[in-house]
Amino acid sequence: MLRIAQKEELQKMIDGFLADYEVIGPRELPGKGIFYQPITNAQDLYLGERFAIEPVKKFFFRPSEYLFEGGLKEGSEFLEGIPLAQNKRMIIGVRPCEARGLALLDKIFNTEYKDEAYVSLREKTILVGLSCQAPGKDCFCTSIGGSPVQARGMDALIFSAGSKYVIEIITDKGKDIFDTCPKEPDKEEIKAWESLKEKSNAALRKKIKIPESLDNIFESGYWGKVSSACISCGVCTYLCPTCHCFDLVDEERKKLRCYDGCAFSDFTLEASGGNPRPTKMERYRQRVFHKFDYFKKNFGEHLCVGCGRCIRHCPVKMNIAEIVDQAPV
Amino acid sequence: MSEELKNKAKELLTNKKVDLIIGYQRAADGVLAAPCFIDSQDDAEKLIWDSYCVYNLASYLKDFPAKRKGIVVKVCDLKSITVLLQENQVKREELLIIAASCPGVIDEKRLNPLDQQAQEIVFAGKCKTCKTITPAYYDILINEPQKNDKLSEIGQDEYEPVRKLEAKSIEERFKFWESEFSRCIRCYACRQICPLCYCPKCVAEQITPGYFSKGVNLEGNLSWNITRAMHLAGRCIDCGECERACPVGIPLRDINKKIEKEIKELFKYEAGLSVEQKPLLSCFDKSDPEDFIK
Amino acid sequence: MTGDRSEWEPKIVGFLCNWCSYAGADLAGQSRLEYPPNVKIIRVPCSGRVNPLFVLKCLSSGVDGVLISGCHTGDCHYSEGNFHARRRFTILRKLFEYLGIDPKRFQMAWVSASEADKWAKLVKGLVEEIRQAGPNKLGHR
Repeated sequence: MLRIAQKEELQKMIDGFLADYEVIGPRELPGKGIFYQPITNAQDLYLGERFAIEPVKKFFFRPSEYLFEGGLKEGSEFLEGIPLAQNKRMIIGVRPCEARGLALLDKIFNTEYKDEAYVSLREKTILVGLSCQAPGKDCFCTSIGGSPVQARGMDALIFSAGSKYVIEIITDKGKDIFDTCPKEPDKEEIKAWESLKEKSNAALRKKIKIPESLDNIFESGYWGKVSSACISCGVCTYLCPTCHCFDLVDEERKKLRCYDGCAFSDFTLEASGGNPRPTKMERYRQRVFHKFDYFKKNFGEHLCVGCGRCIRHCPVKMNIAEIVDQAPV
Repeated sequence: MSEELKNKAKELLTNKKVDLIIGYQRAADGVLAAPCFIDSQDDAEKLIWDSYCVYNLASYLKDFPAKRKGIVVKVCDLKSITVLLQENQVKREELLIIAASCPGVIDEKRLNPLDQQAQEIVFAGKCKTCKTITPAYYDILINEPQKNDKLSEIGQDEYEPVRKLEAKSIEERFKFWESEFSRCIRCYACRQICPLCYCPKCVAEQITPGYFSKGVNLEGNLSWNITRAMHLAGRCIDCGECERACPVGIPLRDINKKIEKEIKELFKYEAGLSVEQKPLLSCFDKSDPEDFIK
Repeated sequence: MTGDRSEWEPKIVGFLCNWCSYAGADLAGQSRLEYPPNVKIIRVPCSGRVNPLFVLKCLSSGVDGVLISGCHTGDCHYSEGNFHARRRFTILRKLFEYLGIDPKRFQMAWVSASEADKWAKLVKGLVEEIRQAGPNKLGHR
């Protein structure tokens, strides 16, 4: 289902959402980049081509959150879980790759095992996407089953078409919120939208080939070579829309869940002092295998959406796309 | 200049003067540079040297213990090696320092965010106030050092951002840093990229006792950043790698520079000047100031 | 921690060196000197033993003020521990100030074993200063 709106009309609609929803969207912090933040005014939104540094993952699977608190209170035991999400939220300006990342995270947190915190946040949130028309040079979503105009995981997807926006409505949730926008595009406008989609797809130039399986190069010397520049920081894993490893920490009477990443040297450190992944080679190999081998075997698709964040923000310019592309299978 | 470097590297590897050379190569995108580790003559062809070589390679020295390492350094990077030598973290006889005349490096954060191509080279903040041109010591010098007149604008105050912050009220400063630190995601890229953060176990990972929250909250983020800055007090040589590595753009250099400025004024101390110098916090002077002590 | 100023009493942690300041505080007690009970004393071997992380831990746990007290310079039981402490904490204090943390919350003093009067006066002054600074908002607990 398609709708069309003038720029001002869309802004008015967003201002209208503010009454009923907590609205989150990309904002530009001068000199720092684009960040998803709550907005109070449609004017705050940055709806240009640049990507947010952090993906929307952090609004569902939070960088750190208290899972429960327990102990003794006035002589008796108590255990309190975290309050689940109550307020309706809307995130506007989500990129197709990030939304696809959430669809992949659903396979972890919302299938067999249901993570209450995650599920409640997912249910309470409406995702309104924004298609990419000038993908970055590190983007490679089309090589991994995505596209700059894909609507998977979203409730609605907005395309910027000159002075107008074409809105593709995907779910009932999306239908409800764009009720106020009755105008449908005419034939000409639909045609223009189709060609815009084609153009966007063509604008994404980086193509990589992903091997069917990496099984027979597990022991290859290749991993040692490509991982030598890694500095074992958490940039790639924390900024990845699909990475979901976490650490559980006790702080006073609270249990805290915070992000953890396979690049850190203490990620697999055992209490005995032993470490099954003692060097960068094992750790980096794990990252590649989890994304491009194990996850596919378990869940049917790769755990990567090709957003290029880990490449763009890597302090030493490690390039996972090239590394996978050139893997000596 | 790259040619001279390549030839020297080949020569060193052929004569077995070094086991490997830590240098720069072109990154996969064809524009930026990436660290590389050369152990054969053929690979030496990969070496490059230009304004895109931003990294301080000294942080890789700990990855190759007991090997004879050739390392390509800029003048500022050399200071971090000086501190590593001062603190007995590397052995001078295992090092072969290839000092390259520095043309000034780019400010990665100022590149066009969409294609990361440089329209016009914008130099990193540290380069604009860089005063040293000649490396204090080296084994091989690539090209005679010369001053790039685009750099070191005369009269530019290296502590200008620090002074601007100092002029604000204490409440304003807290607000400023609270908002900066609120973006911290605790990825520890600042720590990992730092050539002088070499503790095998960082206090941030310690849980018995845990000194500050592992969580992404004001308390944890502020404590982490104070701890990082304190551990570099009198050691930081302002290579600016922490600020460059920070994905969320926290102005970490402004903190490092503040401490650098204070210790210069209070203790007449500057980090990384000589190997013989004692580390700032393992020595004292009986006449150190103590105005605030009651 | 209550934010209500009328009920709020400053909580202060004092790291006192075993050889001078702890004995000085002890003497103040033996001499029946009166001073506010807001300082919780932690005895350490030397002011040089105090790690900046201790101060940070206090402040981030909701303590309103931290005091480090040791022997006068030249009188250190270990000859030079307090010289080291002096350098270290001068920098920390400057850093706190720069980051917008009220430097009143972090103080140092030299109190010898015989200076019971100085100790009592110091604590009185300190409590007043921290009262002015108000409750510490950094601590989450």
